[in-house]
Amino acid sequence: MASVQYEHVVKNFAGGDRAAVNDLSLDIADGELLVLLGPSGCGKTTALRMLAGLEHPDSGDIRIDGQSVLGLEPKDRDVALVFQSYALYPHMSARDNIRYPLLVRKISPADRDARVARVAEMLSLTPLLDRRPARLSGGEQQRVALARAIVREPRVFLMDEPLSNLDAKLRTHTRTELKTLQHELGTTTIFVTHDQAEAMTLAHRIAVLDHGKLLQLGPPDDLYQRPANIFVAQFIGSPPMNVLEAEVQGDAVVAEGVWHMKLPRPIAARKVRVAIRPEAITLDSSAADAHPAEVLISEPLGSETIVDVKIGAALVKVRAAADVRPPPGAKVRLHVDPGAIRLFDVTTGDALA
Amino acid sequence: MTARATTPAHVAPRRRGGSPLEAVLVHAVFIIVIVFFLAPFVWLVTAAFDSEAKAYIRIPSSPTLDNFVRIFTEHDFGHALMNSFIVAGLTTVLDVIVVSLAGYSLSRLQIRFKSWIMYAILLLQTMPLSATMVPIYGLAKTLGLRNSYLGLVLIHAAIELPFLIWLMKGFFDTVPRQLEEASWLDGRSKLRALVEIVLPVARSGIGVVAGLAFLAAWAEVLMVIILVDKQDMKTVPLAFYETFRTQGGYNEVQYGLVAAMGLLYALPVMALFFTTRRMMVRGLISTSRGL
Repeated sequence: MASVQYEHVVKNFAGGDRAAVNDLSLDIADGELLVLLGPSGCGKTTALRMLAGLEHPDSGDIRIDGQSVLGLEPKDRDVALVFQSYALYPHMSARDNIRYPLLVRKISPADRDARVARVAEMLSLTPLLDRRPARLSGGEQQRVALARAIVREPRVFLMDEPLSNLDAKLRTHTRTELKTLQHELGTTTIFVTHDQAEAMTLAHRIAVLDHGKLLQLGPPDDLYQRPANIFVAQFIGSPPMNVLEAEVQGDAVVAEGVWHMKLPRPIAARKVRVAIRPEAITLDSSAADAHPAEVLISEPLGSETIVDVKIGAALVKVRAAADVRPPPGAKVRLHVDPGAIRLFDVTTGDALA
Repeated sequence: MTARATTPAHVAPRRRGGSPLEAVLVHAVFIIVIVFFLAPFVWLVTAAFDSEAKAYIRIPSSPTLDNFVRIFTEHDFGHALMNSFIVAGLTTVLDVIVVSLAGYSLSRLQIRFKSWIMYAILLLQTMPLSATMVPIYGLAKTLGLRNSYLGLVLIHAAIELPFLIWLMKGFFDTVPRQLEEASWLDGRSKLRALVEIVLPVARSGIGVVAGLAFLAAWAEVLMVIILVDKQDMKTVPLAFYETFRTQGGYNEVQYGLVAAMGLLYALPVMALFFTTRRMMVRGLISTSRGL
């Protein structure tokens, strides 16, 4: 159990044209599950590996429970890392893989076996313990890797895209298991992923990274409802927020030159980008200021339908009920609740208050 | 024809097998090649059991173990065999240790001028062994390494090192780094992680290195000639060479003795290959992927 702090951490790689991690500061509470979210190459894995001691920051400090760990070898940091590739020792059985960290730590044989048995039971690995990794399925290997991390009872769990090699069904299932497990164990966990759905479901808080910079840190709901910039707006949510070029005129914003939307309060006239969640748009509004538009296509998903609507040259995705399936060319009247409209600066991409 | 229609236009349709004449020619060539490579071995086996062996293949009129008895009683071949086993065995052990550490370092560590070091190692391998004869003789004499196991082992190990280091680096390159990183995080030091995780995973590579080191040391003759002039230190190639030479004139060579020695010289190596061939082949395949 431990808290973790990143303080102004910078990491450059030789030959890289920009910092892999750029002035990252994060405060992770004891028992928290923090997700580092971002596209590949955003620095999230590097940030994780620096905490593990597998990379060394160029400047800044990383602390566990207030103590700087920069001078410590990986073996002395007492953190467990679940690799994307699982990194199971191929020449050892599942049992020996799980037992290995206990062997290293000179835990007594009786205690060792008890702990392996308990963790194996927890992850339903008991019948598989004598198999080598090559004879386990991807999901089973993943559970062995998880067991090897859990059995040690480390101060911090680090998980580097542990679900990305699983098929979609197993991924969702394991995601739930992980969340339950972390809740039960209460161990501080840092989880790296590029999958926003994974981040939304697992995290207590999400840190969104791009090009090595921390763009926003907060609970999933905050990031979803109030993205701090256009990158977060477009990265989180599926389908993501609709982003349109627009201009503020008095107490309204005009998207793509045609769609007038009322703002909750007037702001100074300027060019902006307007972002709207697909579920914030109503298709068949009777409101006086509803915007007439034409449907391009409907995408039924069973539980809901995503309707693509043409707005000028742009396309807007609208989340509608499952039984709403307007045919191509159908006329609709769009309306947005003023409270759901988010405005962003055209050049910086930052949210406008 | 449907078959014709599915054949892409640029691929000429071809009959399997070809004409009977073609088949005969192909088989004839194969038979010639096989005879060419097999004949010396057939001679070795037939001559070894023939007390009146000649320089050509003949079936012994009365097969006998006489030659084998004589090489052990008259030519002290047992001693030479033991010396060869000791030298080749220790050379293998030394090479495996040095090559594991060097190959791992070159594969994993960030070293300044690494590519220069790699090319320097390769350059050493291109040096003809005979060109180093005189300095090695001088060095061995000064250091008192002549007529000693230590001298033979050091030189034999050194001869193969450059090539084996390159080979082993290739094997280590194929072992995922995450494995040792996982081991460090599990609490192991870098050296223990190498011994407990990386080496077992790269064991087919170690097997190939050990096999090649043993073979090279077992077959090496030039350095033995330079470094050994005492009878009780001579290894098999030297014993073999002396038996061949000291009989005076090729007409008087005792071919039976030579063949018996040759057979006993070849057998351990062949046995080694046949017992480890699966590992060797797997190892060689994995390096060609890794390099």
